[in-house]
Amino acid sequence: MDVNINASEKNQEDLFQFIDRDEIASEKITAPRYSYWRSVFRVFFRKKSSIFMIVLLVLVLLGAFVLPIVWPYDMMENVLDPKTYNLSPAKAIAYFGGENPIKWCLGTGQLGNSIMYGIWASARTSLLLAIICAAINMTVGIIIGAIWGYSKRFDAVMLVIYNIIANVPEILLLSVLVYIIGSGFWPFVFALTITGWLGIAYFFRTQVMIIRDREYSLASRCLGTPISRMISKNILPFLTSVIVTLLATNLPGYINYEVFLSFIGIGLSASVPSLGRMIQQGQTAFLTYPWAFWPPVVIASIITIVLYLLGQNLADASDPRTHM
Amino acid sequence: MRKYLLKRILFSLFSLLIVVMVVMLLVYTAIDRSVIFQTDDVWNKKSNNDRTIYEYTMYGKYGYLSYVDYTSFLKVKYSEIYGEDYANSEEFKRDKAAIQSSDWQENESVQEFIQKYGNAGYKLRYLEPMKFRSGKTKPGGTGYLIAIQEKNVVYRLWDYLRYFITSENKNMVQDPELTERYVRFEHDPYSGLFAIVGSGTQHKYLLYFDGRFPFIHQNWLHLNLGTSYTTYRGMEITSVINNPTGDLKTSRQQYPNMLGTDEYVETAINFHSLTYNTGIVSDVEKTQFPDKYTVYTYNRGGLSMIENSFVIGLAAVIIAYAIGLPLGILNARKKDRLADKLGNAYIIFIMSVPALAYIFMFAWLGTTLFKLPYKFATAGIMFLAYILPTCSLAVRDIGGLMKWTRRYMIDQMNSDYVKFARSQGLSEKEIYNTHISRNAFIFLVHGVPASILGCLVGAIMTETVYGVPGVGRLLTRAINTHDNGVIVAVTVFYTTLSIVSLILGDLLLAAYDPRISLNADKGGGR
Repeated sequence: MDVNINASEKNQEDLFQFIDRDEIASEKITAPRYSYWRSVFRVFFRKKSSIFMIVLLVLVLLGAFVLPIVWPYDMMENVLDPKTYNLSPAKAIAYFGGENPIKWCLGTGQLGNSIMYGIWASARTSLLLAIICAAINMTVGIIIGAIWGYSKRFDAVMLVIYNIIANVPEILLLSVLVYIIGSGFWPFVFALTITGWLGIAYFFRTQVMIIRDREYSLASRCLGTPISRMISKNILPFLTSVIVTLLATNLPGYINYEVFLSFIGIGLSASVPSLGRMIQQGQTAFLTYPWAFWPPVVIASIITIVLYLLGQNLADASDPRTHM
Repeated sequence: MRKYLLKRILFSLFSLLIVVMVVMLLVYTAIDRSVIFQTDDVWNKKSNNDRTIYEYTMYGKYGYLSYVDYTSFLKVKYSEIYGEDYANSEEFKRDKAAIQSSDWQENESVQEFIQKYGNAGYKLRYLEPMKFRSGKTKPGGTGYLIAIQEKNVVYRLWDYLRYFITSENKNMVQDPELTERYVRFEHDPYSGLFAIVGSGTQHKYLLYFDGRFPFIHQNWLHLNLGTSYTTYRGMEITSVINNPTGDLKTSRQQYPNMLGTDEYVETAINFHSLTYNTGIVSDVEKTQFPDKYTVYTYNRGGLSMIENSFVIGLAAVIIAYAIGLPLGILNARKKDRLADKLGNAYIIFIMSVPALAYIFMFAWLGTTLFKLPYKFATAGIMFLAYILPTCSLAVRDIGGLMKWTRRYMIDQMNSDYVKFARSQGLSEKEIYNTHISRNAFIFLVHGVPASILGCLVGAIMTETVYGVPGVGRLLTRAINTHDNGVIVAVTVFYTTLSIVSLILGDLLLAAYDPRISLNADKGGGR
């Protein structure tokens, strides 16, 4: 018996040996690497429609930001020649002697302006407006919404303010602002952003409130995490897909809103070319001069559909549950 | 529950007040007031002092300031002494002429005027007579003495609320000629039923029946939302949106004096709308009417502005719920299959394309393919004119409803109770129709009152494109013409509707889902 025990002890010494503790290796996690944003883009580009939309978006962006430089648009260039007003594409090319057929391939508008050049210059304004307004309103809205949803004291105050401002008709507010500060591009951006963030903040507040009282947040609060860290590390990452969805509806939303405002007569000033104004000018005679009405409508629709679909795909991809 | 509701309503009224105040600040203070004369022809025709006086009168009338002029002060002063003949009295003539001279300040009545209004905090202004070098007065150049007091926003709000709801009584008409004053039940010869008729009241018929929806009407209580200045010159907003539009509709009727005889005339007069004539009754009117109730409006063929908007909106909402809900459920059931993909394409189209684009697409399709009337005013058969606007609105609403129904259905599809129901052997149809949809509808129920009451607000774009005489364009038109009274009135109307629909939505939600309690001390939440 004694011999046996000794033998097994000896065996064990042969089989196992002590190794030194390696500080660096102990920190390594052997699970596969996971990077949130890399996964988002992996899922995003897996969809063929995303790639197609990106190509389309790049084309539209190039058209809107490069073409107006190559083709400077002047809506008053033929204003002194009433014969150029409201020409159909064929007549316009014939009238201008075929020297620049691309310029006149969509006909002329009310003042003999080139529709082709006009839509790209207008698309530039509308896109810029949408991007700037969305950037400002989303940033302010999300920051304030996060605090609003998190702090109950702030919530009580903000709800009163929200109830009041949300009930003042927005077009009234806009038109008063436009009356006071003018209707150029930057005043218009100011008018759209001065209360525009409020709706986003309110939506975001509700989302934050749902996450705020989840168990992991409560646990984190019990451990003494400061508010700023709670918001930035516990709550906001959870809402990334919500933010992207919001962006996806907001960007085309501003383009549509500009069209609507121009239509009811409180849009950008007449000297700034914009899709809304072109559509508004074209709609009065859209049955007789269809070439002045449909091109800006089509461009606006392409931009909004592309932005919306891209946003939807990105929002789907930014939901971690699709990363399996 | 009752306590909760009361609290909600009180809070809502408070925010309504603040909203009205903010809007008043915006339109009366933020915008330069002289813009109200931009579209005013009378103002253009006036010159010199007359124009200034006209401006002040208008500012006074439309609530910018309180304004008193010296002549009206004299009228009050001397009519107390001489009654109706004050204008012939020597004192009145002398005092009135006094302000045209350079020593106007020495006049006794002027002193009195200055003292009275100066002490009351008014600002006094003397407009010197404007003369040509020859000594002749320039056109509109007579001298004036006026007292002005700016209104602050709190006072303006109080003034607005004070007369917000008024009721008629038999002492309303101040006319010594009127001897008989009463409010009583009478036989109504125009409807064949009874009516409540007043004498001494503003309206003759205070409560009556007729063939127009809702068949019973009243003129007893008046809601004074405000008065229009430019778009509907001097009209009350409530009558602007409630009076019928369209062509005059004549019928065989009798003037009050013809009643009892077999004499009839073809006329469009609405005899139920008679109001008291404070001016002079013409000789013709004397043969037609037994009393001084001779001011009337006409019967018209069309619906009123608010009815137009409501009919179109309600039809669109009904179509949207009838089509959008089933399609949304279908999309959720066939998730990721062809039906769902088609539905999604439709939703994306509606959500992203500018609304104006598909409204015009509809207008174009409807007019070229189906020969439907495009503009409301040129429609031969009125019924057909309602089709295109209704469809344009419904197309949008269907998209929105489909989107949300599908979303909520899919969210519910992975719930435990669905798995449980399936494990019990329920058919898919049963699961969808009785389990999932009932839970998904909880989220949709809240929006139903808002979408129905929202019809009263009208649709700006649709109504503009098809030229529908509805309430949707009221606000934009008022803004473009600086019609401050209308802006305030419309804001009050919109805000009230949105508040009421929110409260109704919450109540409906609590009624539909027994788990939800609105009381703070019950249920979840904090």
